Amino acid sequence: MATIKELSLQRKSALTSGHRMCAGCTAPIIVKMITLASPAPVVVGCATGCLEVATTIFPFTAWKSPFIHNAFENAAATISGVETAYLALKKRGKIPARLAGGKEDIKFIAFGGDGGTYDIGFQSLSGAMERGHDMLYVCYDNEAYMNCLSTDSMIMTREGLRKITEVKEGDYVYAFSQETQELVLKECSGVFNNGVKDVYKLETLHHTIKATSNHPFLIVNRCGRGKETKLTWKTLEELKVGDEVIALKNLEGGKSFKFNFKKTKIGDYKVNRLNAINIPEISDPDLMKYLGIYLGDGWTRTEKAEVGFALPEGTDSRRELLQTHSKIFGNSIKVDKSYVYVRSVNLARFIDTLGFGKGARNKTIPSWVFTLPKEEKESFVEGLMLSDGYKCGNSWRYVSASQELLKNLRLLLQTMDTRVGKIHTQTKTKGTHCVYRPLLKDSTYGYVCFSKKTEWNVQKYPSQYKYQNFLIGNKYFATEKITNITLVGKEPTLDLRVEDEHNFIADGIVVHNTGVQRSGATPRGAATTTCPVGTQVIGKIQYRKDLTTIMVAHGIPYVAQASPNNWPDLIRKSEKAFSIKGPKFMNVLMPCNLGWGYLPDQGIEMAKLAVETCYWPLYEVENGKYNVNYIPKEKKPISEFYKTQKRLAHLLKPENKPLLDEIQARVDEAWNGLLKKAESSQVS
Amino acid sequence: MANIKALTGNDAASYAMKQINPDVVAAYPITPQTAIVEKFSEYVSNGEVDTEMILVESEHSAMSACVGSCAAGARTMTATSSQGLALMWEIMYIAAGLRLPIVMTIVNRALSAPLNIHCDHSDTMGARDSGWIHLFCENAQEVYDTVIQAVRIAEHPDVQLPVSINMDGFIISHEVENVEVYDDSRVKNFVGEFKPRVSLLDVNKPVTVGPIDLQDFYFEHRRQEAEGMRNGLGVIKEIEAAFNKEFGRSYGVVEGYRLEDAEVAIVGLGSTMGTLRSIIDEARSAGKKAGFLKIRSFRPIPRDEIIAALKNMKAVAVLDRADALNAVCGPLLMDIRSVLYGNLDVPTVNYIYGLGGRDILTADLNMVIDDLLNIVKTKKIKQELTYLGVRE
Repeated sequence: MATIKELSLQRKSALTSGHRMCAGCTAPIIVKMITLASPAPVVVGCATGCLEVATTIFPFTAWKSPFIHNAFENAAATISGVETAYLALKKRGKIPARLAGGKEDIKFIAFGGDGGTYDIGFQSLSGAMERGHDMLYVCYDNEAYMNCLSTDSMIMTREGLRKITEVKEGDYVYAFSQETQELVLKECSGVFNNGVKDVYKLETLHHTIKATSNHPFLIVNRCGRGKETKLTWKTLEELKVGDEVIALKNLEGGKSFKFNFKKTKIGDYKVNRLNAINIPEISDPDLMKYLGIYLGDGWTRTEKAEVGFALPEGTDSRRELLQTHSKIFGNSIKVDKSYVYVRSVNLARFIDTLGFGKGARNKTIPSWVFTLPKEEKESFVEGLMLSDGYKCGNSWRYVSASQELLKNLRLLLQTMDTRVGKIHTQTKTKGTHCVYRPLLKDSTYGYVCFSKKTEWNVQKYPSQYKYQNFLIGNKYFATEKITNITLVGKEPTLDLRVEDEHNFIADGIVVHNTGVQRSGATPRGAATTTCPVGTQVIGKIQYRKDLTTIMVAHGIPYVAQASPNNWPDLIRKSEKAFSIKGPKFMNVLMPCNLGWGYLPDQGIEMAKLAVETCYWPLYEVENGKYNVNYIPKEKKPISEFYKTQKRLAHLLKPENKPLLDEIQARVDEAWNGLLKKAESSQVS
Repeated sequence: MANIKALTGNDAASYAMKQINPDVVAAYPITPQTAIVEKFSEYVSNGEVDTEMILVESEHSAMSACVGSCAAGARTMTATSSQGLALMWEIMYIAAGLRLPIVMTIVNRALSAPLNIHCDHSDTMGARDSGWIHLFCENAQEVYDTVIQAVRIAEHPDVQLPVSINMDGFIISHEVENVEVYDDSRVKNFVGEFKPRVSLLDVNKPVTVGPIDLQDFYFEHRRQEAEGMRNGLGVIKEIEAAFNKEFGRSYGVVEGYRLEDAEVAIVGLGSTMGTLRSIIDEARSAGKKAGFLKIRSFRPIPRDEIIAALKNMKAVAVLDRADALNAVCGPLLMDIRSVLYGNLDVPTVNYIYGLGGRDILTADLNMVIDDLLNIVKTKKIKQELTYLGVRE
């Protein structure tokens, strides 16, 4: 085996820094070690997955060796093509002599996650191994697939509507109680950055959300006539247009908001004159109407101590504003033909702190507005309509240049039991007359339409209504049919873990919290979103596929199982693999702090526990001969490994003891079987 | 002295592949393409080629291996049909997106379900928008010539897109024709050496092939791909001219037959155009002023050539050997109509025929001509879409 000096000074690993893998991910460690172990240049192929996506974000790449990514299920086939090309070109003398033979031959490595290897990539792997290509296939096994939401999802929290990136552990979020179908508040027990993933847009009549294909949504499962309609979780890729998801329609109660504003005094920075003004301490409908008008037509210039409104003479909006202004603030206003001005340091600073944004393009509705009582929200919307909104038949239409404002307005209206349409966009050319004045340049505006929902007479036609809307009569939730599901592209994603209910409300739709999806490599009993821990079924029902043994059955020259905690073993195995001509397979355990639920700095510790409990034995099979590389001095019980991870810790509950015992028995059986095979290999 | 061999379409394709002697072939058998793979394997076993052949376990792996091989700088070829093409579909888009000049012969066969092994164009229509250049051939000679040309079209620096050569399953693939083949050395010189843009095997200049693009780059890469497709027309013509100079044959991106003084025209793809030659001649002797327009380059669409060829027509029928199942018409009609719209005001009608290998008879084609002449006379279209040859 190469010495540490050789490894650190003379060899170079194929992966360099600057990639975007999660903090605490053990995949880069494994890749670096394996590529370091090669005495010759390597060419790497990678299946779609964490490793590939986080290391090759165009125009950057973290790979110092030639690298190819093709698709999810064909890393083995792709590398088999590259290896064959090498043979063909070498034969025809097109490869430089230095690489044309002997120890300097290029080494071909294919990396696949357990998804791309155990499941969808299995056929490709099996075919390539059977054909005898001179390549090493490495499976980095983190025992599941991850799922997530796009980072611009808006979450309903106790403190109002928040971007998912602003939600922290310990915050309280609104969730859907699956038992009572009521709105409940639950604690967020973790926020997870899932990296960049393929994101889909799911649209209903009134809501839009972006999520990965494996993110679960709560949908209405109509089981047919005579059978009970149930609510079940289904991943986005299982959903189709027409499925009904659960959406929030009304947020409860709400309290008037207490402002935390301290008035400026004379003598404060740059203040030598103050106009007297009364700043309210708590919100009320009048103030909210005022702020609604402000949001539409107002601006503040704190450096000039000015609050202004673009409200022309003779309009309803100006009249309302002047009335409410004197009622609330009690001081003077300057008016001219098109505008209204208030000169007040305190008012300017007060409004500034409220969070409505600056300038036409980044106006928004701050999260605290979502916590207000219905009456105040309605005044707010009324004020907003007085400014840039207008009535269009039976519904209202609101126009704005700020996409964020429209999005938040839509979500706000959806908590007020109002029917809101999609956000539409239009462009008006320079010179067009628009709301009393001609446009100075081409402008793009968005608008939404909304109207009050009519009450259905539930008593009269109960079963019909129930058929149309499963949650009819529910105070907070309604069902909505999916109208569209489209692939948007790759985006950074996040997810939350929520206690107890394990769901939360993102962009108005009830979604499941993070967990991992089961793969063929997921261990027995593990909690995943596609096989959650419930009262009848506890986690994954099946045992893991023993892929290493399956690869041994292919009769290839070298198969090994390794783990990043024992790096001399991993390096030695890699070196051996590279020295053998023909197909080789290595299964390396890859602890994942995100999916398994442990602290980021514990990755190697996890790997060690897996090995010490004999859950992940370190062994190799060379031409059919078994060799166990590490026998723990003291074999630890499987509970030592399981208890450290959120995905498996439930198995330590007393009521799950029978299952845990079963699992321990299987681990022991496999371990003893392995020892026996090794023994008989020595003898023969 | 011309070297004439009696070859089926499949044999013509594999013979061309033999003379090209690619670096790597990765293929999986499927009726009616099987003979290509089998014949080529014979060449490999007898040492007539020194191609490295990968007998993969599925078409998906075939195209995957082709992508890997081509990215490694090796000239790579393959062949498939129908379900095999459908299975390859995911990777076909990737091959075009990665700008890899892979050359594939598609022996057109109907897509399941229902299961059918006979000819129609639904398989390539499924990969229409994949970014591949699709060339359709009328007979075995054209297949032979086009396979040779395809290598240079794909590898041309202005194109760099994978190319497919399409021939009707069983009709061309399994029927013996006289095919003139050229000397090995002349073909070898014509195709020349593959000069890859990048190679995974150049460890001194490592490249990352197939990275992830976020919203900020994907669009630009697709735009470049579109440009390659646009350049395809000019390049096909350029290679044809060179081929003509060397071997004395060319086909064009479209071929008009007796269109100069025609009143009505039939537009179509594939072997049916061969059948139409004699039918048009017969119609002419009967005084009907008919002609046809054979579309050879289906992707990229030869817009200007189509408009120029049909400019004097009073009625046009488009034959589709596949149904687009859009409740309106077939796929070729969609392309023809969109090309003509705003440029030529001529009534177009659609005939969907031959699905699942249903024979198209001379009587059917004569009826099409008569229908067209009727449209010219009455200035009315009786039926916009006719399913020709089906028992309704």
